[in-house]
Amino acid sequence: MSHPLSRRTVLRGAGVTLGLPWLEAMAARTPPASAKPPVRLAVLYMPNGVNTAMWTPPEAGRGFALSPALEPLADLRDDLTVVSNLWNEATKGGDGHYVKESAILTCATIKKTPGADIANGVSMDQVAAKAVARRTPLPSLELGVTPVAIGVDLVVGYTRIYGSHIAWSSPTTPLAREINPRLVWERLFRAAAGTPAHSARLDGLLLDRVLADARRLRGQVGAADQVRLDEYLSVMRSLEERVERSNSASQTRWRPRAPLDPKQAPVPHPAGHAEHVRLMLDMIAAAFQSDTTRVATFMFGNAVSNVSFRFLEGVTAGHHDVSHHQKDPAKLREYFLINRWHVEQFAYLLRRLRNLREGESNILDNSMVLFASALSDGDRHDPHKLPLVLGGRAGGRLDAGQHLVFPEDTPAANLYLSMLDAFGAPVERFADSSGKLPGLLRS
Amino acid sequence: MEAVAAETSLRSQAQTWTSLIRRVRNHEMPPRGALAPSLDEVERFSQWAEQALRREICALGPAPGPAVVRRLNRDEYAATLRDLLDIHLDIASALPADGAGGEGFDNAAETLFLSPLLAEKYLEVAKFAIDYAAKEHKSRLKVLIASPGNGLTEGQAARAVLEDFLPKAFRRPVTADEVASYLGLFHAARRLGQPYDGAVFFALRGALISPSFLFRVEAPHSSPEPRPLDSYALASRLSYFLWGSMPDELLFDVAAAGKLHDPQVLGVLTRRMLRHDRALGFAQRFVEQWLGTRALLTDKAPDAKLFPQYAADEELRSDIRLQPVLFFQEVFVRDLPLTDFLDSPHTVGTSNLSKLFGFELAVRKDRRKQPQWVELPEGSHRGGLLGMPAVLAVSSYPYRTSPVLRGAFILEALLGEPPPPPPPGVPPLDQPGQILAAASVRERLERHRADPACGSCHSRIDPLGFALENYDVLGRWRDEEGGKPIDHAGELPGGVRFRGPAELKKVLLERKDAFVRNLTAKMLGYALGRGLTLTDACAVEQIVEHVRAHDYRAQALIDGIVGSIPFRMQAPSQAASISRKESSVR
Repeated sequence: MSHPLSRRTVLRGAGVTLGLPWLEAMAARTPPASAKPPVRLAVLYMPNGVNTAMWTPPEAGRGFALSPALEPLADLRDDLTVVSNLWNEATKGGDGHYVKESAILTCATIKKTPGADIANGVSMDQVAAKAVARRTPLPSLELGVTPVAIGVDLVVGYTRIYGSHIAWSSPTTPLAREINPRLVWERLFRAAAGTPAHSARLDGLLLDRVLADARRLRGQVGAADQVRLDEYLSVMRSLEERVERSNSASQTRWRPRAPLDPKQAPVPHPAGHAEHVRLMLDMIAAAFQSDTTRVATFMFGNAVSNVSFRFLEGVTAGHHDVSHHQKDPAKLREYFLINRWHVEQFAYLLRRLRNLREGESNILDNSMVLFASALSDGDRHDPHKLPLVLGGRAGGRLDAGQHLVFPEDTPAANLYLSMLDAFGAPVERFADSSGKLPGLLRS
Repeated sequence: MEAVAAETSLRSQAQTWTSLIRRVRNHEMPPRGALAPSLDEVERFSQWAEQALRREICALGPAPGPAVVRRLNRDEYAATLRDLLDIHLDIASALPADGAGGEGFDNAAETLFLSPLLAEKYLEVAKFAIDYAAKEHKSRLKVLIASPGNGLTEGQAARAVLEDFLPKAFRRPVTADEVASYLGLFHAARRLGQPYDGAVFFALRGALISPSFLFRVEAPHSSPEPRPLDSYALASRLSYFLWGSMPDELLFDVAAAGKLHDPQVLGVLTRRMLRHDRALGFAQRFVEQWLGTRALLTDKAPDAKLFPQYAADEELRSDIRLQPVLFFQEVFVRDLPLTDFLDSPHTVGTSNLSKLFGFELAVRKDRRKQPQWVELPEGSHRGGLLGMPAVLAVSSYPYRTSPVLRGAFILEALLGEPPPPPPPGVPPLDQPGQILAAASVRERLERHRADPACGSCHSRIDPLGFALENYDVLGRWRDEEGGKPIDHAGELPGGVRFRGPAELKKVLLERKDAFVRNLTAKMLGYALGRGLTLTDACAVEQIVEHVRAHDYRAQALIDGIVGSIPFRMQAPSQAASISRKESSVR
């Protein structure tokens, strides 16, 4: 070769992570005196739709029999609300995946673009996050197991950024996801530990300085580029606010509701897809238990995900490939097995939350965990009759234990409107909502 | 159809025409209910309109885009910290990956968003990197160029350090005001009881989260005509293109001397840059995104149960992944013809690849495992990208090969002619879930191709893929599958017939201009870090012309790109709006 090559320099650096500071600081902090437990909101998003024949429970009402796909939730039925017949009208056109999947929580129509003028709506979880942003160290957690899909899908003309994000803090800002469980844990830990007063003071000085740099620069660039600096100013200011909050001696100062246990730190590189998913769900449980954040979204995969499910007995192909079953009974069976596996993971998180005591109740009682896909039948890319199941009771607001069947084509935004109310962040309207879902909440 | 458009409207209504072409191609036009044109007609119309459009727009010559503000992407940020502080840490893996836009690369300015997560990481990484540099002897020496004593006060020493550091961190000369404001950080930290060194490093930490470090900022201008880019901005464009990192001292010096726009200087500099270790990062980032081979780590990983050899052998996996990257780098360093990507008498080999190929590559006995440049024997079927396992695997399903996927890969990644989406309501041709013998795949495909709705595209896609059926998912050679001989014959519309990879490559070599045009567009998009516009198509044509005039040499492509108008010049920017929108963010 013209120059020697080392495999190592190409593939990986020294493998250093940022480490865990302030262990003592964390240990020294005490959980708060009993206060009314806050409501938490999580969304678990599954790409590629469902085998519809196996999904919807046959009867409505209380005491409903579970469908084959929902069978893994048997012991949790009284904590469930299955919501049927909702759809997302804004996603009826466009391509089969990006339009549907990236708008599952925004109920908006995304703009078709390779990237220059990306546009979606604000996602429901971010409306909730903004409402409680000042009450917890992290406004929200965005998690996944696969990195952002790279490139532009030239066949349909959308940047794959769309399919890789369900959380949008503004129509033009998809929120980056963390996929390494160890890094999530360290982030939770660091956020919960807070910044010691001396460091916070120094950080504050730095942030002041660079915010001034950004304001000056902003005056020097063209109109189009000011948006970039506005983005910078916005995220750096919220960082500054957080630093100030953790440094302030006021009584509103946040304390963890349960300490994070350093012994629970997960491995950074899970052995397979299944373990990876479990570890990320554990992070949601840890965040909710400690009250480090109250809002989390998790993506089982990006839109059009073709993660291989051959690790499941009876499945021969990747997720997206299987979803195009063309009514072949063998393929439909595989599709069902993949769906059920996802439901098992959902059940796993619900059980974890149920096992975490919180005063007289448990975390699941004080949570809403939505399991959602943006398509019903993936083979037809159908945005009608979306698969939506809620777990938890939202501190008693959710009238759980029922299968609610609404008139066909009720807006999914109505569900979100109700959920925001139960979360304690009521809004007048959300996207194309026409009113809260009757029967979902106790008033 | 052609009579409809007066060609002058092409120029004045260029945007409308582009969107019309796109909608016709995607079957969104004419609207449902109207008489639908055949796919052939759609293709003919789109091609005519595109060519006419290009001709009209290029009559005015290439034009540059405006200056941009872009965030360093994850890899650029990590590499820049490495080079600025001389620290060698895996910083990138602490940050979330970036998505991609434009021509499909993760350095596209328009899709480099900032999120709260990233802001947090910047603050933490800056502290971590600075603390680390403060403890490393080499880094300390590089940064702390002055210390108090010998007639220097603390303030003077700190100022000297900042005057040296800030221009490097911001990749441009800094003003006295900027130095003074960072010196203010130093003094504030001293007042809070930090020792001298700690206070200096603290001020440097500030620089690492400043927008002037995190963003590449090109100053706008408002004169009516395009102007050459500011020298320092051009130095950054060069170094982030070929190194993915900040300019080094030499580049700074040449920029300071105002010589960077001189084509001869550019030629010498780029040759030197391509030989530098840092250029390997360019090769890796560009190739893995161009060919999509990053997906070998995720969705496209060959199935572990069917290919245990691949799953078990990390060295083999890395050899497979690196082969196209290193081949690319060699083609540019050795200034070989770009057609070597289609077919070549050489490849990059290791002993592991010998085993996979089933014949001995001429690797050196004393370093058989190190990737190296080797000559291929006659008839090896391994010349060019299409003989490489990484390419053959990424264009397959994880559990079996697919002529449709491989054919589409050739059209999209190599020739730049992505097939249009299937017409609505048509099921996919290829049944992915089943393990099928090649013969029955062909039977199915031929049955479907008889349907005119499918046939007009698949008759272009499938034959290309069939010619590669001799390679399995891992790229191993096979003469039969399931007891039946491999059927590797293809015939394109128009009667072009070929059998197997060797003949396919001859067909592709006849279309080398399409390949070079596609590679040029991809690389120009990467170099500019943005999606190409209509007017950029003229620059692409000029570069292709330049490459052709230089016997398709690789260096001519680099020369063409860095010498091009979009790379070296900038258009006036739309003036900043008077309303202070910023205040609404607060």
